[in-house]
Amino acid sequence: MSLRSQLLKGILDGCVLSVIEKEPIYGYELSKKLQEAGLQDVSEGTIYPVLLRLQKNGLIRGEMQPSVSGPNRKYYFLTETGREALAAIAQEWEQVVLPVSVLLKRGNRND
Amino acid sequence: MIEAKQLIEINNRKRSELTPENEKYYSDFLIYIRLQLYISEQQSEEILMEILDHLIEGQNEGKNASSIFGDNPKEFADEIIQQIPKEQKKNIIGFISSIAFNLLGLLLIIRGMIFFIVSFFKEVDSLVYLLPSVVMFFVIVCFSLIAVWGIFTIIKGSVFKEKQRNLKDTFLCGTLAAVCTGIIIGLSYLMPNFGPSFPFTWYASVISGAIVWGVSKFLKR
Repeated sequence: MSLRSQLLKGILDGCVLSVIEKEPIYGYELSKKLQEAGLQDVSEGTIYPVLLRLQKNGLIRGEMQPSVSGPNRKYYFLTETGREALAAIAQEWEQVVLPVSVLLKRGNRND
Repeated sequence: MIEAKQLIEINNRKRSELTPENEKYYSDFLIYIRLQLYISEQQSEEILMEILDHLIEGQNEGKNASSIFGDNPKEFADEIIQQIPKEQKKNIIGFISSIAFNLLGLLLIIRGMIFFIVSFFKEVDSLVYLLPSVVMFFVIVCFSLIAVWGIFTIIKGSVFKEKQRNLKDTFLCGTLAAVCTGIIIGLSYLMPNFGPSFPFTWYASVISGAIVWGVSKFLKR
């Protein structure tokens, strides 16, 4: 597995939660949003195990609702626990990403 | 919430929108998920519907199943199965007891009918020994469950294969069913009669069988 996809795997939960936070969404739309955000590496199918796990852990809940285009779809909503988890993930991400980018930038300059 | 039963019907209808290639990919996936006896049926059907909706939308944009869900459908399915909650105990118990009651009902009806027909030709001994009968019934239920479980496992191993191993699998399933039936018949010959007994006429057998069968239908709902 490439480094990029390993990193993505670790933070995918956070990405999915933050997309759902903006508005309730169904699977297909969610995968579209992630790819539009620039996460091309996330193959569309990978979100489903993630959605199931987040649901099992009570961070999101799914509800069948009629969609604009007609058929019933399962829309995902962020729960209160999910909101807290997302805040924690965002904070931890910052604690990692800021020092790491500083370090890696320095390395580049020395080359 | 849409019930699992309704989801299955909608799924059957929607599946016809798939191209043959996507249909093959999706059907294997569907069979594999539905053969998992321990996971929640409701949750399984919900995710199956989501995946189907996703596939149909992707298909309309010119994508195919392996570009959406990857080249390894078994791995994808296993990842999903891992995250689906276990079926509730009460549902599993309800399911197994409905099968057991169904079986008991049918056995009693068939016994009654055989005794009725045979009684035209010769004297029938309708004496039933309670304890051996209970033991035999337990054996029949156990081996039926083993056979079902075995056949499910064989089918699970055969989906996602490029080349279908139909002949070999059919043979394996047949052998398994024959062995289980053989054990049941063998044991019923060897079982000695002991303990309390009572006469159990053909019509008593048919009537009680019909009642038990009705109970099994009620349990299934």
